[in-house]
Amino acid sequence: MIYLDNAATSKPDEECLKRAEKFLYEAYYNPSALYAEGYNIQIELREARKNILALLTSGSNYDLIFTSCGTEADNQAIFGAGRRGNVVTTLGEHSAVFSAVNELKRRGIEVRFADLNGDGSVNVESLLRLIDDKTSLVSVIHVGNETGAVNDIAKISAAVKAKNPYVCFHSDGVQAFGKIPFKLTKNIDLYSVSAHKIGGIKGVGALIKRKNLIISPHIYGGGQEHGERSGTENVFGIKDFEYAAVKRYSAIGKCFDSVRRLNDLLWDRLDKVNFKRISPENNSPYILTVGVDGLRGETILHEADDNGVIIGTGSACASNEKKRYSRVILACGISETTADGILRFSFSPENTEKEIEFTAETLNKIVGKRKKLMA
Amino acid sequence: MEKVIIVRYSEIHLKGKNRGYFERVFGINMEKSLKGLKHEIHRQSGRYLIEGFEEADEDTILEKLFKVFGIHSLSVALKVRSDIDEIFNAAKEVCSNSGTFKVETHRADKTFPLNSMEISSEIGGRLLSVNGNIKVDVHNPQFIINIDVRENGTTLVFNKFFKGAGGMPVGTSGRGLLLISGGIDSPVAGHMIAKRGMSVDCIHFHSYPYTNLQARDKVIELAKVLSQYTCGTRLSIVSVTHIQEEIHKKCNGEYMVTILRRFMMRIAERIALNTGAQALITGESLGQVASQTIEGMTSSNSVIEKLPVLRPLCGFDKDEIIERSRAMGAYEISIQPYEDCCTVFLPKHPVIKPALGEVEVEETKLDVEGLISEALNTLEVIRL
Repeated sequence: MIYLDNAATSKPDEECLKRAEKFLYEAYYNPSALYAEGYNIQIELREARKNILALLTSGSNYDLIFTSCGTEADNQAIFGAGRRGNVVTTLGEHSAVFSAVNELKRRGIEVRFADLNGDGSVNVESLLRLIDDKTSLVSVIHVGNETGAVNDIAKISAAVKAKNPYVCFHSDGVQAFGKIPFKLTKNIDLYSVSAHKIGGIKGVGALIKRKNLIISPHIYGGGQEHGERSGTENVFGIKDFEYAAVKRYSAIGKCFDSVRRLNDLLWDRLDKVNFKRISPENNSPYILTVGVDGLRGETILHEADDNGVIIGTGSACASNEKKRYSRVILACGISETTADGILRFSFSPENTEKEIEFTAETLNKIVGKRKKLMA
Repeated sequence: MEKVIIVRYSEIHLKGKNRGYFERVFGINMEKSLKGLKHEIHRQSGRYLIEGFEEADEDTILEKLFKVFGIHSLSVALKVRSDIDEIFNAAKEVCSNSGTFKVETHRADKTFPLNSMEISSEIGGRLLSVNGNIKVDVHNPQFIINIDVRENGTTLVFNKFFKGAGGMPVGTSGRGLLLISGGIDSPVAGHMIAKRGMSVDCIHFHSYPYTNLQARDKVIELAKVLSQYTCGTRLSIVSVTHIQEEIHKKCNGEYMVTILRRFMMRIAERIALNTGAQALITGESLGQVASQTIEGMTSSNSVIEKLPVLRPLCGFDKDEIIERSRAMGAYEISIQPYEDCCTVFLPKHPVIKPALGEVEVEETKLDVEGLISEALNTLEVIRL
């Protein structure tokens, strides 16, 4: 099976799993326990926190709160920091942010959405226009999960702070972490990451937070994670996350280049008569989104699956006509005809050129046949 | 003092010489429904007693019995020896702490020293003497304590009647094949026909890869819900993908649904005849959608050669169907947003009143027999 849905989840790295295994079977103690065995686990967590932070920051300006997933990290950022005035975000956000801000709206906070450019990135002018002195939180996705568009959050956060220095700036970095070489800059206050997109396991994420920034917890209880996220830590998952992240970062540049070659190769081999490019040229190399006019993405997905290629659609298909098309794709100004046939290929450094060639050949065949049938 | 459940049956008492047969099927259905739970079922005149169950299973047993057709009402009762002191102790247990009440006694055992009126008055009097918060009101009581002195030396004491599912025991009115789509209507249609005693099997048509595996699982879940009422079901799943592609390729697109439905009916009839089903059942409701006009029904009916087509929802409004769907426990599954095959290749303007002649002309463009046997080759059967 060729797996090209790595933006949905990635294959857990076996070597890292093996290394972390001892935290399941031997060192299973509660990190909050007072005896030496428990305390040793606390030290392991401290180590994990430090090592993951070191991948994104050079100084010691940030803290890291472990969460159960990227969605929880996003929710903690939104509900923890968006507590007054208005909240500004974009139409290109993942549902973890989009649904959370809609809940804020229901609770009486004004929410403003910035437009997208045709390539899926945020229209910075539109974003800045929405910010005023009452804005408490701005959230901009780093790499769009549907199009792979990269927002330059260092520049955007600086421009946002220039307009209102009291704003809290959050970015959902789930599709960027471990993939795009990048360091957190001083204007970024909160940054969400997830383990299972980079070879870790599902059930672990983290919210990286600028030191001294106070946000309210999302989960209350025993006061773990310095009271910012209660609940006994998933030690095995966190250590596995640490190992996977460090491993991924050790070759991040090399992987970036090799995945870029795969991405380019796939686009090169896909039949341009049937496939329209949705992802921008300077997108994250880990994602290539294309549209097929007049066909449903899901139909192609199933047939590709039957032929040994797993891909994503990037659209939440529902029978309800209004929900049938992805809101992000429509916000890019793409027509409903194309929005119906969105396919998302998302790569891992483990994919090979041979796999990509087979994928292109298979997709060309399937789409060619279906197009003929639908004509 | 033992807890028992009294099961009173519906129309079986109307049956004459066949009564034994109906009672036997009814008993078997109850056994099937309570499979896996510790219990004993004893038949008494005009009722069944469920005994010997674990107290913790009481709610589960009731929940399962509420889904057995043929049950008129149920009561949870205390079973005691027919002795006035024991009857009083049981009455005390079921008596509310306050309010107005009366005692109603049915005495089948005519050797019991007190008659019905005397038992009621004795027990009522004793209850009043131990609880100052209750009062007798024989005309409009807030609760009734029922005492049933049976012929076998035991007495049942209870204070509530729960309404059962009604209808006839499933299996006493033959077998039907329900065309189940994954929507709200078809499970309700199956439920209604099962209520009249028909065993119901299901057939589902899918259009993978145009529809997804979740849609298929949804239908399996719906069939499972239905099977709780039908004492099991056999779900046949058939792919109509190629049929739809051929219709799309060769016929006027406006006739897509009309022609597709004719194929479904033909395939369903063949499977029904092969599996001993004596009728087809559909969830059509007159005029609900473009394909459910009387002309649409005429068109799909005309390909059926031998079997009757039962359409129990024909006269129902959507909200009435939804109400029934909720009551049977299917609604939450039915509204999951997965498309069924009818929405694939859906024309913008489907023909609403298809003329049979025109449909037949369109169909001559297709290898009907070939497509049917090809579809039958995809048949998959799941027993639920």
